[in-house]
Amino acid sequence: MFLFNYRYRLKCILRDRQLMFWTLLFPILLATLFNLALSNITTAEEFIKVPVAVVENDQLDANPAFTTALEGTDELFAVQYTTRAEAEALLNDNQISGYIVFEPDLNLVVNQSGLNQTIIRGFLDDFLQSSATIVTVITENPTALDNGIVAGVSSRSEYLTEVSASQSNPDPIVNYFYTLIAMTCLYGGFLGLKEVVAIQADLSDVGARINLAPTNKLTVFMSSMLAATTIQLAELLILLAFIIGVLGISFGNQLGYIALTCVIGSLTGVTFGAFIASVIKKGEGFLTGILIASTMTMCFLAGMMYADMKYIVTTKIPILAYLNPANLITDSFYALYYYTSHTQFFTDILLLCGFIIVFSAITYFVLRRQKYASL
Amino acid sequence: MVINVKNLVKRYGDLIALDHFNLEVQEGEILGLLGPNGSGKTTAINCILSLLKYDKGTIEIFDQPMSPDAYDIKRDVGIVMQNVAVFEELTVYENIDYFCGLYIADRQTRKKRVAEAIDFVGLNDFIKFFPKKLSGGLLRRLNIACGIAHQPKLIILDEPTVAVDPQSRNNILEGIQKLNRQGATIIYTSHYMEEVEQIASRIAIMDKGKIIAMGTNEELKKKIKSGEHINLELLNPEDLDLEAIKALPHIISAELTDHQLVVKSGRDKNNLIAILDHLKDQNIAIGKIYSEPPTLNDVFLEITGKELRD
Repeated sequence: MFLFNYRYRLKCILRDRQLMFWTLLFPILLATLFNLALSNITTAEEFIKVPVAVVENDQLDANPAFTTALEGTDELFAVQYTTRAEAEALLNDNQISGYIVFEPDLNLVVNQSGLNQTIIRGFLDDFLQSSATIVTVITENPTALDNGIVAGVSSRSEYLTEVSASQSNPDPIVNYFYTLIAMTCLYGGFLGLKEVVAIQADLSDVGARINLAPTNKLTVFMSSMLAATTIQLAELLILLAFIIGVLGISFGNQLGYIALTCVIGSLTGVTFGAFIASVIKKGEGFLTGILIASTMTMCFLAGMMYADMKYIVTTKIPILAYLNPANLITDSFYALYYYTSHTQFFTDILLLCGFIIVFSAITYFVLRRQKYASL
Repeated sequence: MVINVKNLVKRYGDLIALDHFNLEVQEGEILGLLGPNGSGKTTAINCILSLLKYDKGTIEIFDQPMSPDAYDIKRDVGIVMQNVAVFEELTVYENIDYFCGLYIADRQTRKKRVAEAIDFVGLNDFIKFFPKKLSGGLLRRLNIACGIAHQPKLIILDEPTVAVDPQSRNNILEGIQKLNRQGATIIYTSHYMEEVEQIASRIAIMDKGKIIAMGTNEELKKKIKSGEHINLELLNPEDLDLEAIKALPHIISAELTDHQLVVKSGRDKNNLIAILDHLKDQNIAIGKIYSEPPTLNDVFLEITGKELRD
C-alpha cells in the first residue's frame, strides 16, 4: 500500500501544472529576475580608477621621481599625459577629475570637490612629504644614502595583520538568493497541503473515498508526505543547480551541509503546509491563500524584499528571527557561506527540526481522528 | 442482515439531522432511500459508513459493529458518492486502478477487476482521458466505476444521477440493476421518486431525519387513501358544476384549470365511470382523458402534508 500510494501521489503532484509552476518554475523565474536586477548593485560597488591628466612640460621632465611614483599607482589612477590646453578641455568636459601640473611647483587643478579629488590630493601630499624628507636627510647627512635610511623613508611597514572573520568576501546579493531558497523550501507547503486535503474527508471528496477504504489512513498519509518531500527536494536541487550553474552564484563549498539544509528546509515546508491544512477547516483555496500570505511574510522578515529587514528583526526583535523558518533557512546558508565555525548553522538546523516536530505532531493528532463532526 | 441501524441520532448544534433513525437492509435487495433535499439521507449514509460522528444509536454491517477501523467490513462495501470523487491528475484507468488498489493489493486480481469495471460502465474508449475531458455523464460513470471496481457485496449509491442527462441516467439505473442481479445488495438514495420506483425492491421514505414510511412500491401506495388521478380535457368547462363532481362518492378533490379538470379519487374501481356518467348528464363534451395511478409523491404528500420536491 505504501509504495502503491507513493507512486500514484508522485504522478498526481507531477501532473499538477499549477503546483509545479509555483514550486519550481516561479522560483527559477524569480532567481533569474534577481540576477538581472541585482547585478547592477555589484557593478555600482566596484572601484573605478580615478581619471587624471598630467601636463607635459619641461618641469615635469626635470622631476623623473614624480613620473616614477605615478607609475606605481596604476591601480589607483587612470593617467593620461597631455598639454595644458587639452587637460583644461578634459576637465571642463568632466572626463578627468583633475590635472597635475608643475609650474614650477607641483599643482593640482580641479573644478569641484569630491572623493576623487581627495584621492589625487592625498597622493600628491604624500609625494611632496616624502620628497621633502629625503631632501632634508641628504642635506643634513649625505651618508644616509649609503646607510639605506633614505630607502626607508619611502617604504611602508604593515604593523597589523588582516585576519578574515569569514570564509568569503561579503556579497550583498547572495542573501537575496538565500531567502529565495527559503521561500522555495516553504513553498513545499503547497505539496504538504495538497496531500492533507487529498486524505481528509472534510476537505475533499476523494478524501472521503480514501477514508472509506480498508487502509490505514496514517500509512496513506506518510506515503503521501514522502512523495511530496521527494518532489520538493528534487525541485530544490534543480533550483540550486540553476542558481549555481547558470547564474553563477556561489554557495560555498560545503556541499554536504548545503544538502542537509535543503532536506531540513524541504521537510519544514512540507510539514508546514500539512499543519496549515490540518488545523484550519476551510476550503483548499482559502488554505492556499493563508499559506502564500504566511510564507511571503516570513520571507519578507528574512530580508527577501528588503535586505536590511533581516538585520532589523535580528537586532530589534531577536525572538522573531528564531521563530521564522524562512529566516532560519536563510541564516543556515549565510552561516555556511560566511562563518568559519558551524555553531550558528547547527543552531538554525536544530530549530528547524523543532518546527518539523511541532508541525508533524499537531498534524498527526488532527489526522488520527477517524470520524468527522461534519462533512 | 446486511445493515441494521437502531435509534441513530445525529445533531448539528440545535439541528437534529437524524432523529432516532432506524433501518434494516436485507441481503440481495435494492433499498431505495427516498426523501427531499435536506431530509438526512446523506447524513445517514455517512454515519452508517463511520465517516461522521453521531450522538446515539448502533450500526451493524454484515452483523458486525461498524467502526472506522472495521477493515473486514469496509473491504466488502462500495460507495458511490453524490459528488464526483476522482483525482483530476489521473486518467480514467489510473483513477479506477488507484481506488481499487485501496481494497485489492494483488496486481493481477486488480487488473482484472479494473478491466471489468471499465467494461461495466462502458468507458473502454476513454481509459486514457483525464476527468476534465469527460462529459457529466461519463464522469458519473467513472465515479461509479471507482466505487464498485473491487466488486463489493454492499454498494451504497448516494444520488448518483444528479445533473446527468436522461440517457446516461438510464444507463446508470440499468447498471445498478445488473449489479444487484450479480449478487450485490444496494442502497440507493435519491430525491427522484421515478428512479426509486424503477429500481428499488423496497423503499424507505425519509423526512426530517427519520423514516416515515417503508415497504415495497405497492405496499406504500396502499397505505394512502388516494387512488388514481383522473385528468379530463373539457370542451365546454363553463357548463361544469364542479361542486357536484366533488360530491361524488370516493372523490377526494377536484380542480378545474382552464379546460383541464383534475380529479383525485379514493380507492375504488368505478371512479372514472362515475365521473364520465356525471359529465354526460351535464352535457359536458370531453376531449382527452387519461388516468394516473398514485405516485410516491402522493404517499409523501399524504404523510407529511408537503410535496416531495418542496
